[in-house]
This record gives sequence, structure tokens and C-alpha cells, in this order.
Amino acid sequence: MAEMSVLWLRAAAVFYSLGLLHAILMLVRKREGLFRFALGAFAIGAVLHFVSILKEGVATNRCPIGNIYETLSMCAFLLTLLFLFIYWRYRMESLGVFIFPLVFVMSLVATLGNPVSAWSSPVVRNVWLTVHIVLVLLGYAALVLAAVASLLYLFQERELKSKKPRKFYYRLPPLGTLDEIISRSMALGFVLITLAVIAGSTWAFIELRTNWIGEPKIAISFFTWAVYLAMVFLRVTVGWRGRKAAIMVVTVIGFSALTWVAHARLGALLLKQ
Amino acid sequence: MKLLLAGISYKTAPVEVRERLAFSDAVVPSALKDLKAREGVIEAMILSTCNRVEVLITTDDTSDAAAVVDGFLIDRHSVSADVIEQCLYHHEGQAAIHHLFRVAASLDSMVVGETQILGQLKAAYATAKAHGAVSGWLEGLLSRAFGVAKRVRSETGIGQMAVSVSYAAVELARKIFGSLSHRTVMLVGAGKMSELAARHLRRSGVSHVFVTNRTPERAAEMARLFQGTPVEYGRFTAMLPEVDILIASSGAPHYILTKSDMQRVIAVRRNKPVFLIDIAVPRNIEPSVNKIDNVFLYDIDDLQEVVNANLRERLKEAEHAEQIVAQEVERMMSRLQAQEIAPTIVSLQEQLEQIRLAEIDKVRRRYGPITPEQEEAWHALTRGIINKIAHGPISELRMQAGRPEGAHVIEAIRKVFHLQD
Repeated sequence: MAEMSVLWLRAAAVFYSLGLLHAILMLVRKREGLFRFALGAFAIGAVLHFVSILKEGVATNRCPIGNIYETLSMCAFLLTLLFLFIYWRYRMESLGVFIFPLVFVMSLVATLGNPVSAWSSPVVRNVWLTVHIVLVLLGYAALVLAAVASLLYLFQERELKSKKPRKFYYRLPPLGTLDEIISRSMALGFVLITLAVIAGSTWAFIELRTNWIGEPKIAISFFTWAVYLAMVFLRVTVGWRGRKAAIMVVTVIGFSALTWVAHARLGALLLKQ
Repeated sequence: MKLLLAGISYKTAPVEVRERLAFSDAVVPSALKDLKAREGVIEAMILSTCNRVEVLITTDDTSDAAAVVDGFLIDRHSVSADVIEQCLYHHEGQAAIHHLFRVAASLDSMVVGETQILGQLKAAYATAKAHGAVSGWLEGLLSRAFGVAKRVRSETGIGQMAVSVSYAAVELARKIFGSLSHRTVMLVGAGKMSELAARHLRRSGVSHVFVTNRTPERAAEMARLFQGTPVEYGRFTAMLPEVDILIASSGAPHYILTKSDMQRVIAVRRNKPVFLIDIAVPRNIEPSVNKIDNVFLYDIDDLQEVVNANLRERLKEAEHAEQIVAQEVERMMSRLQAQEIAPTIVSLQEQLEQIRLAEIDKVRRRYGPITPEQEEAWHALTRGIINKIAHGPISELRMQAGRPEGAHVIEAIRKVFHLQD
């Protein structure tokens, strides 16, 4: 990607990050006050993004969808336009929870196409990686908590539906409480994993120089994150609870486990034996 | 001193007998006075509720406590001795303590774990105390009984599960929503039970009550009762998305809420749970509504089923409570026994100590002044001797305490050592 285009895209990503912030605050604190602010930032981001795409097109003298980074940038831009249109037409605020993080991460990744020189020092490299790993593990912990609470929710829900109270009915906490725990831990896990994805992708970008996005383990990480994003979105907007929520959490945990396996090269280890 | 608890309860006597033996609040003071005036009676307390009449007395060792109470009941209520003999139970000593603790802990109640009995027992104690009928001994026993009741309540789940239909509804609402604050209730139709449930819910923190009724005046009247809002009967389904708990008890002969209605409501609510309570007969809500995710429908039989399950659970908890009571009785008994022998032990020790000091005095007079080291040695020597002598009788006393023949042993030891009373 052309230097100038990347600069514009970075500026756009900075504005998009405010949208991410809004999504996070809404998930963790249930505050929606920031929406107008985030929407404004998002619109400014879109303008900058447009300039970036324009510059790229002019520089390469073709439609800028020649490689994965350009395509991602274009895709994110189209999503942004679509969202702004839908919002203008239907006032669907809740869609922001899904679109804001997605567009931010896509455009962030799109800025990471041109290899930079190298690490300024090995310490930075190690700390960066450690931060990424710690964030991921904390995110997994929150996700497991959400899964356990979902399981208890299923048990309690069945007791209440069956109308014949047995052991679980007396011993388990109320559905409302479990739901609260699921919501909280799911949101917290999402925030942690999102930050981990940002840390991880920038680390991989600097470390691997070129074609970092082509690594299967990185691709699967992004996919897992997208599934998580979809789950959080469905929960916040449609209010999926009980069985559906439990299945979703278990799916996300499954993908997370796969991601972990891919990163730890467990597969190779297992095959050797 | 003797302790006796005599009485009748729903277990031993039908209501015809219980009502004849009952003491109304007004007559309890004079009855207490009468009872206390009888021969040998030291302290007295009367507990009279709709399920039991019990008399608790302490008497001196020589009097026949059972005969005193029987005579008292026959005199006061003009019932035949036959009835008394058939229905009355008598518990003495440890058995009386055990019974009292069980009653206080609500283990002897018709609905195990109900809390009313403890209040009634406390009131009976207050009355007896106010009229000078209890002092010292019974006072200690009763405060222990209250302590046992408290322990049972906090260490077992005996009083936690609802045993009435309207409370069961509130409990279910808590199981679904957790906290009930910021929840809204809607009453469809009127009725005693729905009113009661709504009152309980309101007390549990429900923030708003909507009321609807086919007769708008009735709706307005009920709404005033709960500081709620009346809703037009034709419009109530439109309000449903805002309602978390619905209590239906209208006299409609058909379903007023169908599955498709509810599917729409739950979609608008974004799957937030709804609790529907249908206490109408014929039922107001289509039963298949319960199949919708996040909708919980309970009809009157379902609530009764929950109550039954709760009762079974209470009985399970009661087993644990019985163990606590047995343990507490054990503890009380050993405390009482220690009290029984304590004076003897103290006077035995005092007696021996007096002898020791007198003998040391004698020796000192004969041999003149001695050094502090020598004096210390004498004291150590003599103390060692009396402790060794006292050891045998004291451990025997401790062993015999509480046994039937214990009194004789205590008596013998007092005689042998010339202990004054």
C-alpha cells in the first residue's frame, strides 16, 4: 500500500477506535451515552478512510483491491457506509456494537500491510508478546466462567420449566443472577480478547514482516474473534439466553481451543507421538 | 428441683379438646397466679396456641408435678380426668427440655419450620415474666430454647422454602429474576389469592403494579390498593411487553392469552424472561405458552406442586435440625449437671483449704519464725496433699452428676467430709 494511503487509513482507524470504545463501554457498563460521540467519530473516520482509498487508487492507478490489505480496507469502508446508511434510515443503534469493533479491527489490520524495519529492542518484543498472551488467557478465563454460568442456567431453566423442583432448584442461584454473570463475563472476555487480537496482530505484523496475515494460526484467531463478536452482538440485540446462549458460548470456547492448539502447535506435537 | 412440661397438641388431641383446654390471653395471668400458688410449684409458664396448650413448671423435689398440672387443668377447664389422661403428655427433666427445644425450633409444628410458634413462645414467656411466674431457672432454660431456635434457623434451610401458594409464587419470581426491584407486575382479574401474591410481591420490592379488570371500577379500586396503574381490559395485551410478572385470575371462560400472543410479546421483549401465574379455573392462559423460551407459566396445580416439594425439602432439613436439637439438649444437660455438683465441689475445696491453713498456723506457733523459703515449702507440701485427697471425691462427683443414683453419692460425700449445706 502507498505510504500516504496508509497514513490516512491510520488516522481513520484512530477515529474508528472511538467506536470500539463505545461498544466496550456499552457491553461492560451498559452505558449508551457515548453513542452520538462514537457515531460522529465514525463518520469522520469514514471520510479519512475514503481519502485513503482514493490515494491508494491514484497511486496504483487501479481499483484498490489488489491484495488482502487493500481488500480489507475496502471491505471495512463499505461496511462503514452500509452502517451509516442503515443508521440514517432505521436508527439501529444496537448494530454499532457489532459494526464498530469489526470495522476498527479490519482497518487496523489493513494498515499493517507494509513491513516496518524491526523491533526497537528485544525487551519491547517480549513484553508485547507477554501482554498479548496474558490478555488472551484472561479472556479465556472469563469465557469459561460464562460457559459454567450458562450450564447452570440451563439446569435452573429446566427445573423452572419442568415445574417439579428438585435439588438444582434449591441449590442453584436465580436465573436473573446467572444471566447477569453470563453477560458480565462475556462482555469482559470480549474486551480482553479484542485487546489481545489488537496486540497479537500488531506483534505478528512487526515480527513476521510480510505475509503475516497468511499464517493459518492468525487467520483462525481472527475467525474466532469474529464468532465471539457475533455472539456478543446476538446477546445484546436479540437477547439470546438459555440454550441458544449456552450453545454460542460453547462454540466460541471450541474455536478458542482450536486457536490455542494452532498457536501452541499442539497438533504437530500430538501427531509426532 | 423438678422440671415438668405437660400439654396437648394437634398430635394428641382433636380441636374439640384443644379449644376446651385453651387459655385466652386474658385469662393467662390469673391462671399463672393460680398455678404458682399450688403446692410445690416454684415457676410456671403457659403456652396456648391453636395447635397446642402446654404448661411448663418447676417444682421442689418432693411434690408430684404431674398431679399438680393435671389438677390445675381439670380445675380451670372443668374437663374430665379421662380426657386429661387420654390426651395429655408429660415430659420430665431431659425429655421436657428436648420437647421445649423442638417446639421452639418449630420441629413439632404442623407446618414444620413455620416461624409463628417462636413468636408465640416468646409472648408466653413475656407474659409469665411480667407476672412474676418465671425467675432464674426457667428463664435460663427459655433463653436457651430461643437460642436453639435461632441456631436451627440459621444452620438449616428449614424456614426458607415457601409453603403457601402465594408465597411460592413470589419465591418462583425470585428464582427467575433474582432481585425483584425494577420488576413490574400485572394483575388480570381480581381474587383473594392474586391480591395476596401481589401484596407479597410488592413487599419484595416490585416497582410497579398494573391492574386490569373487566369492570374498570374494580381495576381502579385494586390499583389504589397497590399504588398501581389501572389498565383498560381491552388493551392489556398491548401492555404485556412491559410486564415481567403476570397474575391471571379472571373469570373468563376461555384463554385470554394464547401462544401466538405470547410469542409476539417475547420477541418485543428481546427474550427477557416473563413469569406468568395462572390461578384462574378455568385457566386463562394457554398451557403451551410454557413451551416458548424464556416464558415460565405456572398454573394453580403447578404452584401446589412447588409447595409440596418445598414441604418435602423442609422435612429433609428437619432431620438436620433434630440433630442440632439433640446436641443442644446434651449441652444443656451437662451444664445443669455441672451446676448441680458445683456447690459441693466448692465447699469441699474450701473445707480442705481451711484445715490446711489451720494446721500450718499450729505448726508455726510451735516452731516460731521461719524463713520465707521454708514457708513456701510448707505451703507447697500441704497444697499437694489436699489436692491429692480432693481428687478422688471430685472426679467421683463429676462422674455421678446427672445419674439417677448421683444424688446419693453427693449426699454421701457431703457427709463423709462434714460439708455444711
